[in-house]
Amino acid sequence: MTLQQQIRSARLRTILVLVLFFILMALIVAAVRVAFGGGWGLVMLMVAIGYGIFGYVAAGSIVAATAGAHKIEKADAPELFNSVENAAIAAGLTKTPDIYIIDDPAPNAFAAGRTPDKAYVAATTGILQLLDKRELEGVMAHEMAHVRNRDVRLMTLAAVMVGVITMVADMLMWSLFFGGGRNNDNNNPLGAIVAIAAIILAPIGAALLQMSLSRRREYLADATAAELTGDPEGLARALWKLGSDQRPLRKVNRATAHMWIESPLRDNQGLRSGLTGLFDTHPPLQDRIARLEEMGGFTLPPVPKGAAEAQH
Amino acid sequence: MTIVLILIVVLIILIGLWFILTFNGLVRLRNEVAQGLSSIDVQLKRRADLIPNLVETVKGYATHETAAFESVSNARAKALGATTLDEKAAADGEMQKAVGKLFAIAEAYPELRAVEAFTQLQTELSDTEDKIAAARRYYNTTVRSYNTKQQTIPTSLIAGMLGHQLAEFYRLDDDADREPVKVDLSA
Repeated sequence: MTLQQQIRSARLRTILVLVLFFILMALIVAAVRVAFGGGWGLVMLMVAIGYGIFGYVAAGSIVAATAGAHKIEKADAPELFNSVENAAIAAGLTKTPDIYIIDDPAPNAFAAGRTPDKAYVAATTGILQLLDKRELEGVMAHEMAHVRNRDVRLMTLAAVMVGVITMVADMLMWSLFFGGGRNNDNNNPLGAIVAIAAIILAPIGAALLQMSLSRRREYLADATAAELTGDPEGLARALWKLGSDQRPLRKVNRATAHMWIESPLRDNQGLRSGLTGLFDTHPPLQDRIARLEEMGGFTLPPVPKGAAEAQH
Repeated sequence: MTIVLILIVVLIILIGLWFILTFNGLVRLRNEVAQGLSSIDVQLKRRADLIPNLVETVKGYATHETAAFESVSNARAKALGATTLDEKAAADGEMQKAVGKLFAIAEAYPELRAVEAFTQLQTELSDTEDKIAAARRYYNTTVRSYNTKQQTIPTSLIAGMLGHQLAEFYRLDDDADREPVKVDLSA
């Protein structure tokens, strides 16, 4: 696939995933109606959506606090600053995002902020030590791609939707346990079974969709980054180095995992699914490198064996 | 009868929506192209502003390299006087070559390379060079989207009517494009 094709296909798949999200939402709304009739379900849904809106608005500041980052000026790290500036120019952003450094030896980086104007990027001290200028430019272009593609907003939205679906499902579950739905005017047993199935499956489905969306956006950000720097090999080399490094980040939680250039979670934290990779926020590094190799027409040696296995 | 009427109304609404979306999309792209061009201008200006300083600094040590100074100053004058895109690109290419030559000459003067002002200028010029390249990539990408949009159906049916024209790519001379001037900082 050429770069343009990759970008187009990633966009299409994103739309598909969003449509599935709305179908899930519709499913849970239908389940609410079957179990409770119109009135109660509506109240429940309003509560969940209110909670979702609060989560969406509050999300921006939480990310920065979680990661424990401090802001820098150009003189503090000129190379990092220049690579962000250049990526911002190539992405056509009118303002260079604020730049933060995180004191952590594990090499990683992320972008946050819902609009390009309020966006900021952060890099760990580990990644600054590990990468050379060209590789760092690739990584910062990847982060800028997330900013330009509005991924932060999209992924915040996805997280909120998962939250809302899970919350409604939980409420339904509890009310069924405690004999809720007494006022049910629709005592159809088939409907009840469908409702229970929806309650159990919708949150799982939503989480799977969220992770799949996150992986698609990673591929898209890689392709965009290659376009921004005109140098797919720089990013590929950076990913290669990141793949060979196995230190997990100290301060990280599952909720913000999708924001980083490389998954900050490691197997020993027991958070990754060893079976299928379905719950991974990031595609395997080897795959991402392979796609960049195809774009740029170069080949890197395979990522060291132990590291490649731990990635999945 | 009413069904036909409804269909006609729906059709008109759809065409209206399409028109609005296309109109706005074209305007947005045209603005992006303009923004890309001004971003290139900003960086070219920044480089032109660094040149007099560079020439002064080098002159202090390499007194008789007049030819190199002249070609840099000429390129700067051309860059500042350029109005069309082609003129800017030509001046840009010439400037790259002239500055590259000047740095090559500076290699022969170790005491010059020890001057802090000189190494600082070198760093800034190479950074500006990177930024010009980044701005050029953004500009050319947006020009490609803008032109493609104008040339593909159905937008092509109304783009001309709305006063949109194909934008020009920012092209450097072939040789300059293939081999960008690398300022060697390791020396």
